[in-house]
Parts: sequence; structure tokens; C-alpha cells
Amino acid sequence: MAVCTAYTSPSLHSPYPISNSSKSHHHFILSTSCRSNRRRARGEISCSSETNTVVIGLAADSGCGKSTFMRRLTSVFGGAAEPPKGGNPDSNTLISDTTTVICLDDYHSLDRTGRKEKGVTALDPRANDFDLMYQQVKALKEGKAVDKPIYNHVSGLLDPPELIKPPKILVIEGLHPMYDARVRDLLDFSIYLDISNEVKFAWKIQRDMAERGHSLESIKASIEARKPDFDAYIDPQKQYADCVIEVLPTQLIPDDNEGKVLRVKLVMKEGVNYFSPVYLFDEGSTISWIPCGRKLTCSYPGIKFFYGPDTYFDHEVSVLEMDGQFDRLDELIYVESHLSSLSTKFYGEVTQQMLKHADFPGSNNGTGLFQTIVGLKIRDLFEQIIKEKSATPAEVSKV
Amino acid sequence: MRELNLSKMIEKKVAEAMEVCNGEEGMRSDGCRVAWDEVEEVSSALADLRRRLADSAVDPLEPFCLQNPEAEECRIYEY
Repeated sequence: MAVCTAYTSPSLHSPYPISNSSKSHHHFILSTSCRSNRRRARGEISCSSETNTVVIGLAADSGCGKSTFMRRLTSVFGGAAEPPKGGNPDSNTLISDTTTVICLDDYHSLDRTGRKEKGVTALDPRANDFDLMYQQVKALKEGKAVDKPIYNHVSGLLDPPELIKPPKILVIEGLHPMYDARVRDLLDFSIYLDISNEVKFAWKIQRDMAERGHSLESIKASIEARKPDFDAYIDPQKQYADCVIEVLPTQLIPDDNEGKVLRVKLVMKEGVNYFSPVYLFDEGSTISWIPCGRKLTCSYPGIKFFYGPDTYFDHEVSVLEMDGQFDRLDELIYVESHLSSLSTKFYGEVTQQMLKHADFPGSNNGTGLFQTIVGLKIRDLFEQIIKEKSATPAEVSKV
Repeated sequence: MRELNLSKMIEKKVAEAMEVCNGEEGMRSDGCRVAWDEVEEVSSALADLRRRLADSAVDPLEPFCLQNPEAEECRIYEY
């Protein structure tokens, strides 16, 4: 098999003006050294068919690379994802053996000062360079390395770019992965993390209350001030997602506002290529299930499952819902053994993955469970795509 | 060090936001939304930094010193 490996790049030290004009930095899309191979005898796979980069989009308001979802996802593929070694310590990128996670904030066309001048928040599309985002994601998908800008969240400035080589799996995470139609078409699978307002508020309180500048009022004001832009630009993306993870307050405890026990819904679109929704008992039927009883004793408030078909923004979907918490390992195994179409490679794989990261937030509830399951689904999707591509070397890339 | 700087920045930005958003008109202005967005950005960055520091068992100076052994912070004085 031909291998394309030489990645060269212009010096990363050239000064990049950080500022007001949105087109002031030019980034180079580099070509690989494969062109000469195309003239080889037929039957040999040319370099362009090696572009098996699968692109996954994840829309989340929680910022980049820090999300637990990313860490669980990269763990399913094996290896821990880490920031690029020896590079900018404030890089938002995470790299593991198979996966590279890019933070879409790196495509901000305006830095913090620029946004203040123009009066736009980071949520506003006007603060982002979608043309560059499209060009670079497309290049990576085609197997070409790119010099990607870095948005430094600490300084609020745009730092000199870093070299990103095309990985097997590219995850683009941020506020607008599905906003631009061209970028949307490049995604092999997309996920939207939909946190309800009450839960968002509870989580932000946990995160920020101890900080000196913050108070209940400031946290509330911050969420409310961002809401109009969020509703206008970010929220509508959920109609395009192949799967939506909705996090809501629990219904098991009346008037609970601590956001500790959660009700999580995994909304899965039907008819998506390479993606078969998880189900409980029987596909397409509706079922309500409480696993706790004679075989399994759970502590308060227990666990409740629901599965059924539904419509979501005019699409047919299947919804799997979990309300409550896991307290013990055997609860988790019991639940796993009753779910079907999990895309696990062995019995107990979901439980094993959850235990591996028992210290991650959400490990005892639906958020951890569904994030892990979605990770397995993405692995399955990736393997199916690779299998298909290696079976038909001739007409591979949709370039 | 950075933690402290970010922490102070949050205090400052929250105060700024409260000021900009003063009154009816202030609350509806673009400046108000941008100010609170900045607060969110910095809070997020601080939370991330804290998490990274907590997660890493490695001394943050180590990788830096591997690359720059002559830097002031990395000099070893052995007798």
C-alpha cells in the first residue's frame, strides 16, 4: 500500500497579526508527496484512496477539549488524548493514536478585543471564519495536513498556527460544527449536546460559585445575557444532528434543583448511514422499564428507563431515556445486558469503559452511559466506513 | 500563577459586566452581552486550567525544561 507521509510546513514562527481584519491570516493547505504514485500500474492503491479520515462533529457549549465526552470518546478508540507535545501550551487540540480533536474556537476571526469592538459574542457567526473552517476540515478529510490557527482562551488572542496532520478520526468540537452547510456535508456523524437551562444553571453554580468574583446573581446574569445569541445561532443546529443527547432535571425527585440526579435522553435519528440506534427489548416498540426490583436492589432514587419511537424536527427518531443513578457495578452490568445494538465487541464493554473512567463526571448516570454508547457507535461507524473503502479502491474519495 | 491571574481577571470582568449592564438600556445593549460572554470565557478557562493541573501528575515545568535546559528556571546547580 502506498504511504503518504511527508508533511512540510512553512515556519511556525512567522508573525501573525492578531486583530481587527478577519482575513489577515492566511493558512496554507499543504499537499502530500503522493502525486507521483498516481502513475503507477493499475491495481495498486493510489494515495487518494487512503483518505479514510472520518469526521465527527460535536456541538457543545461547554468549551473544548475539556469536555468529558471527548475524553470518553478517545478512550473508546484506545489511548489517552493529550495536547500536542512541545507546542503551544495553550493549544486546544487533543491528539491520541487514532483521533485528533479540534476546537472550533480556533476559527474565531475576531479575538476578544475584536469582538468587544464589534459588539459580538463568541456565539455569533460573525466572530468565526467559516470559509477557513471549511477549507481546513475538507483538507484534513482528504488526507492533507493543515496549519490551523490557535485561539488562546487565556489571553483572548489568536496565536501562531500549529500543524495538524490528518488523523484516522477527526473530531471537530465547539459551538458551530453544524452551522455552515458546507462543513455539515463533510461530517460523517454529528452529535448535539443539549443541556437544559436548569441543569446548565446548576452546573455553572458548581463550577463558579467558589470563585471570588462570582455570585448567584452574576452566574444567572451570565447565562441570561448569552441566551439570545445561543437560541439564535447555536440551538437551531440540533435539527441537523444525527444524535442529540438531552440532559434534563430528574423526574424521580420532586422539585429537585441540585442537578445531581439527571434525566438523560439519547435521541437517535433513523436512517443514518452506518448508524443503528440502540434499543431496549424490541426495536420500534415503546417500553418503560424499571430495572430495580427482585433481581436488583437499587438505592434512592433508583433508575428508570424509557424507549420508544418519536419525531424530532420532522425526522423519525428513536429515543432511549435514563433517569436516575447507578450506585453499584452490578446495576450497570444488569442494564447493559438488557440493551441491544450497542456495537460492543464483547459483553460488558460498556461497563468496562464506564469503570475505566469512574472518576469522570456523569459516570453514575445517563450522561456517562450515553456518551460511552455514542463512542462505541462512532467506532462502529468508523470500522464500517473503512471496510467499505478498502473493498472498493477505485471510486473512493468524493473529491 | 496563571490560576491567580485568571481568578483576578474573573473578578474584574464580572465588575465590568455589572457596570455595563446597569439600567434598562444597559441591559439590552450589545456591550452587556459581550461583557458576560467574556466572563463565561474566562470562567471556563480557569475551570479548565484547574482541571488540567489536578489531572496531571507531571510537574508542568518538566516538558518545558526538556526543551530549554538553559532557561533560568531549569538550571541545575550541582557541586
